[in-house]
Amino acid sequence: MKRLTKVMAGAAAIALATAGCAGSGGGGSEESSGGPRTLTVWLMNGSAPETLTDALNKEFEGANEGVTVKYEVQEWNGIQDKLTTALASQNPPDIIELGNTQAPSFAALDVLTDLTADVDSMNGGQWLQSLKASGEWDGKQFSTPFYAANRSVIYRTDMFEQAGIAAAPTSRQEWLDAITKLRAKFGSDPQFQALYLPGQNWYTLLSFIYDEGGDIAEANGTEFKATMSSPEAKAGLEFYKELVEASGTTAPKDNDEQNPEQAGIYGQGKVAMMIALPWELGTAAKDNPDIEKNSSAFPIPSKNAGETAPVFQGGSNLAIPVNSKNTDLAKDYLRLLLSDKYQTQFAEAGMVPGASTDLSALDANPVSKAMAAASKNGRSVPATPTWATIEAGQNPLKDMLTAYLTGVKDIDTATTDADTALDAAFTG
Amino acid sequence: MATIHNTIRTDTVPAGTSPPAPARASGRKRAGLGEKTIPYLLLAPAVLVMLVLLAWPALQVIGISFRKLDLGELVRGEVVWVGVTNYTEVLSDPEFWTITLRTVLFTAAVVAGTVVAGLLIAVLMRHLTGPVKVFVQVTLVLAWATPILATTTVFQWIFDQQYGILNKTLVKLGFDSFQGYSWFSSGTSTLTVIGMLILWQAVPFVCFTIYAGLLQAPKELYEAAAMDGASAWQTFSTVSWPTIRPLVTLATFLSVIWDFKVFAQVWAIRGGGPDGESTTLPVLLYLRGIAGRHFGVASAVAVLMILVLVVLTARYLQLLLRTREGDVS
Repeated sequence: MKRLTKVMAGAAAIALATAGCAGSGGGGSEESSGGPRTLTVWLMNGSAPETLTDALNKEFEGANEGVTVKYEVQEWNGIQDKLTTALASQNPPDIIELGNTQAPSFAALDVLTDLTADVDSMNGGQWLQSLKASGEWDGKQFSTPFYAANRSVIYRTDMFEQAGIAAAPTSRQEWLDAITKLRAKFGSDPQFQALYLPGQNWYTLLSFIYDEGGDIAEANGTEFKATMSSPEAKAGLEFYKELVEASGTTAPKDNDEQNPEQAGIYGQGKVAMMIALPWELGTAAKDNPDIEKNSSAFPIPSKNAGETAPVFQGGSNLAIPVNSKNTDLAKDYLRLLLSDKYQTQFAEAGMVPGASTDLSALDANPVSKAMAAASKNGRSVPATPTWATIEAGQNPLKDMLTAYLTGVKDIDTATTDADTALDAAFTG
Repeated sequence: MATIHNTIRTDTVPAGTSPPAPARASGRKRAGLGEKTIPYLLLAPAVLVMLVLLAWPALQVIGISFRKLDLGELVRGEVVWVGVTNYTEVLSDPEFWTITLRTVLFTAAVVAGTVVAGLLIAVLMRHLTGPVKVFVQVTLVLAWATPILATTTVFQWIFDQQYGILNKTLVKLGFDSFQGYSWFSSGTSTLTVIGMLILWQAVPFVCFTIYAGLLQAPKELYEAAAMDGASAWQTFSTVSWPTIRPLVTLATFLSVIWDFKVFAQVWAIRGGGPDGESTTLPVLLYLRGIAGRHFGVASAVAVLMILVLVVLTARYLQLLLRTREGDVS
């Protein structure tokens, strides 16, 4: 008996040391009261300018008597865990913001309110197609577009001028020519990089694959089958390698654009181009304030001269948790936020609005203008709930890029392995 | 020690002066109830804390491992019992066995490295004097005190493909093939780097523990050994080793538990990549639970991890049960 107790104590000690998660859930019940009500809104840090949300909340409180908007800004870091906990609680926030690639993972689990009937009243005709698609699951709309952003090529106008490049490249060939000219002019400096391109910038790879007519996977209803070994996807991967080699980038082949942070490297002033989101230029300018006025941007060029390559469209969706007790108010709030009035303000703040096709406000800034031009051809990752797992866990596209670029695998093995890994993840 | 004291006491107590027995008996009776319950009352808070913080989560994990608990079930508060489905799913995945084997081998290698390195430095420290000794000790404490992720970041910089000091140094020394060499292109190489990182952080504790044991060894024994002309190895094996053996066993046992469940360093270095080749069981747990939000499956992985750990540490647990007062030499 004493032995057994000791064994159990030992096992319990080990359990404590290893156990990661434990949880229990409570059921939600619909209930609304006639008295004062509070609408809890969670938006992410950096999503909406404070002036915009202040005006929005004030207008909403004015229009709905007795309603207080409890507006809370959340951090991206660790948001998935926080949302999981919040959604499981009795009293979840009434409106949440979801990364567009995470959105299907929530929609497929029936934890969001079905908004299919409200699409039209929420400015549905103006919705950005790629974000609308990421909010859909099984023919129903579970989240609405919020805003989007995509990558373009941010470049140094002064360096282009000195290298004798008259206009921003509008085809892959012109892009490669520009790289050759830049290297000829500045190549004597060993620290110079015509284009900073780390090995694992899979968003950029997607652009090239889309441009070739390929995709990550093909959908059959809610089933997905990876297509990285298709000729189109392989051609995209080939061009990525060509670009890495032509540019002589010294960026790590086994890491992505955040490790080290590419904006910081651009900010050191020895890099002529980087493929980045508009606000990364702001980050670069923190180290080097002069760099902003010497920078501009052009959309990622297509292999077809004069066109821009399709881009991976990152962004956010908005949703109402199924346990929310203020579904009616939350829908009204979304209607107001997605109205033309506030969507135009988003464009003025430098983001692609999720529910407005009017992007003219973005033209004021050259970097935003390049993003807006490319955004018309925006795509997203497969709308499967398992994609969030891939991004939060191990991304086979990154492994594929590193393996191919470093020569560990040839293109057939690299792409077939990626297909196998993706298919396993899709069924996960 | 205890037996010696007892003998002395019984020897010195004169035979004829036995205390008045009845008085003692009645005193015991009076305090009977209190004396019996007080130890339990004193233990109660600790037991309660252990039950709440230790037993309850452990039971929860075991319970959840028999349930289907994804985000949907969690949000709706549903309890769906699925029997052993989670276990069959995990155990029938050939990758689980690869990962388990990898984790066990990795743990064994890191623990062996840690204990040997700790032992060597501890023995070295006994022979050091003055500022050199202080220097070594301060260095060890600093390596130990540095936060895990800070050390991990430094290691990432050291092994960076383009800017890492290691590749640069190797190229300077004439090994040109290390120009732009990627240390993270294969699982084995990645795990080697991670192993060195864990070793770096684990050696100080093991070293100080063993060093403390070495200080306990009586100086006279070393002097006697030296007079008898014992070699360094003989001195170590006959004088030092018997003293530190229990501590080495303890350090090994603790290292096995710590290194088996290490997550932060493995995840921070390459997220278990490339191609999942550096994925260990804790990383698998994270992928299933946090990234995949299959909490039931993740709990099954957690329970299986505990079982593997129990098997790995079975010998120590056995010794623990056989001996008293934690003497496991």
